[in-house]
Amino acid sequence: MKRTLFRALVMIMIFGMLAAACTPAATPAPAQPTQPPAQPAQPTQPLAQPTQAPAKPTEPPVQPTQPPAPTEAAAAQPLKGQTIEVLLPPWAQLSQDMLDAFEKETGVKVNLTIAQWDAIRDKISVAGASGSPLADVAEFDWSWTGQFSKSGWFVPLEDKISKDLLADLQNTPSFTADGHLYAVPYSNDFRLTAYNTKMFEQAGITKPPATFDELVADLKLLKEKGGVKYPLGMFMSPTENVSTTWYLLTLAMGGDLFDKDMKPAFTDPNSGGYKALQWMVDMNKAGYVAPGGFSPDTSWDTKFVAGEAAVNLSTGPAIMPVANDPKQSTIVGQAGLTMVPGIDKPTASFGLPEGLGIMTTSKHQEAALAFINWWMKPENVLAIQANLGLLPTRTSVLEQEIKDNKLPGGEVLIEQAKLLKPLFPSGTPPWYSQFSTEAATLLNAALKGDMSVQDALNKLAAKATALQSGQ
Amino acid sequence: MQALEKKQDLAAQKPARRIGKAQREERILGYLFVLPVVIVILVLVYYPLAKGFSMSLHSLNFAMGPSDHFVGFKNYLHVIQDPDTIATAIHTLGYLAVAIFVELVGGLVFALTLNSHFRGRGIVLALTILPWALPGIVSGVLWSRIFHPDNGVLNNVLYRLGIIQDYQLWFSKPLYSIFFIGLVFVWSSLPLTILTLLAGLQTIPSELYDASAVDGAGPVYQFRFITLPLLRPALAVALTIGTVNALGIFDQIYVLNGTALGTRSITLQIYLMTFAQLRFGEGTALAFWLTLVTLAFSVGYIRSLRSARG
Repeated sequence: MKRTLFRALVMIMIFGMLAAACTPAATPAPAQPTQPPAQPAQPTQPLAQPTQAPAKPTEPPVQPTQPPAPTEAAAAQPLKGQTIEVLLPPWAQLSQDMLDAFEKETGVKVNLTIAQWDAIRDKISVAGASGSPLADVAEFDWSWTGQFSKSGWFVPLEDKISKDLLADLQNTPSFTADGHLYAVPYSNDFRLTAYNTKMFEQAGITKPPATFDELVADLKLLKEKGGVKYPLGMFMSPTENVSTTWYLLTLAMGGDLFDKDMKPAFTDPNSGGYKALQWMVDMNKAGYVAPGGFSPDTSWDTKFVAGEAAVNLSTGPAIMPVANDPKQSTIVGQAGLTMVPGIDKPTASFGLPEGLGIMTTSKHQEAALAFINWWMKPENVLAIQANLGLLPTRTSVLEQEIKDNKLPGGEVLIEQAKLLKPLFPSGTPPWYSQFSTEAATLLNAALKGDMSVQDALNKLAAKATALQSGQ
Repeated sequence: MQALEKKQDLAAQKPARRIGKAQREERILGYLFVLPVVIVILVLVYYPLAKGFSMSLHSLNFAMGPSDHFVGFKNYLHVIQDPDTIATAIHTLGYLAVAIFVELVGGLVFALTLNSHFRGRGIVLALTILPWALPGIVSGVLWSRIFHPDNGVLNNVLYRLGIIQDYQLWFSKPLYSIFFIGLVFVWSSLPLTILTLLAGLQTIPSELYDASAVDGAGPVYQFRFITLPLLRPALAVALTIGTVNALGIFDQIYVLNGTALGTRSITLQIYLMTFAQLRFGEGTALAFWLTLVTLAFSVGYIRSLRSARG
């Protein structure tokens, strides 16, 4: 009996230990509910802007969000002791020095988690569906706006950031749905074309192409005279990359994906979308694109900086710092930026900006907002650009850089930025993901020759129509 | 006299009662031992299963808003009528056919070879297991280097041998793609089949072979009438595991050919539906369809094994 009791006690102890292990650990940060609301009198603006640079005259004065603290230090850092979880893709991996600087300034500790872009979307979806907390600040891609705006997983920010900052930010329409701003853009990514000046010179080409006819003529020269076997870098794999390349060329060829009634506008042989896909198919058939373009793991930026392509048709502003970094590039000093070619002249491109959103499950929303505001400070934006190559989203910072002649490829960037067109003028629809996946499959099939251009685009149009009707 | 008998009865009952009490205590102790595992299984397996099933009965589409309502089995009907689901189901059966055929034939050949004694058998066995230890995503990346159309090893070797005149795009046609991706999948799952069959082979008594040899039976005869019948339980296990794994193929497809519809499997379709398109209701309904199919295959194998045993 004693033995039995002893065994039972052991079992209870083991079970108790298991139960204890399953219980969430207590967090060192003070519990959020004990903090009083920042501005009870202004319910639409509950979060203050404690981290805006006081030196900048256009920013509002610091508004402490806590009751007066016993010491000055505590008053200066009302959020001290909090820890926020931040989930970002590899290209936004802030250095530990920067995170330490933020902690020093605000007293908020940052746990930065880096995950692949699509893995972040999956994590957000799983956490959102289950209602469990994932991160306080999370990556928010422009293409997620339609879906995530409806899901209720992100906090609307239009009333939480200062009006001056809001006015100074570019790309905010990409993150706006139904009048709400769901993310603060941090990466001013848009499509433009890079070329290898040395390869162009060797082929006897004196200026970058401004039209598609010029580009084709240049590719012919690069292949025949310049000895570049596959001069054009262009995505053809069944991934999001081939879809965005086609979207870009559709705009560049003077077209739109959808008309004002959201009807597909790419099935007519004279439409921009049709001409764009036909052009892509022709370039592949002519042997200007390496077969590796069909491989999902091909990065044309990597191939371009390795000297394996003379023209990188659809790249972003971040290519320049990489191309000029001897650790990452074999073409240092050879890369040039030019606008995406057009029919008669460069006419359009589109942006792929990325933003920082605050998840509704966050228990430290004020600290999360402080982090975003800190990121958006001009000096931090510049430091992040220097470290990570992310083009600033603040107009004032860009203008100052151009004025100081500190923006690599600055003139081209500014000119291209003027020609940016939204893919979906009325906002990214919630069915975008399905449309884009279908587009990738069909465009890839047309490029491989499994399907005609007309069939592929007819099928895509049918899918788009079905998606809009909720089928 | 009666009192004496009663006393004797009571004396006889006492140890019996004592045994009953001891048994009860043992039983309670047994339950206590099992309880943590039952709780863990309930929390980690059956609760998510029930939650998932409930989700599949609701119109849960977060891309259209967080609100949902009960729709019964509408999601189940809707997803199996979807042309993309039908296409991905056919592709999955293609992967299954490649996997089962190559795993069984190849597994049997390897297992028979490893069952014989030769020098370096231990090293060969260790090397055989290696691909199984690699995660699917790693084997996918490894094979993408082999199949790469620009600088892949396969193109390079075939080109140097003069077998091909130009570098090939190995995933250009859906049928070839399914075959090649199926082979990549088999590369990582074959070791498990080999080990299962090898374990089965080692349970066959050697006396049977000795006796049949005395009766004049050759190797083919021995294989047909001794090895195969006695290996049937191991074959059923290998078939079941192989089928369950093949129906869940994902990593290799995603790495080698992205989300292209031409090579997309059911699990990839579930992933896209649920996490990329946020159609959680339909996605979980499709996942339950896959569970049912997997269950049907497994039950079928076990039943055929039982009927073969008589």
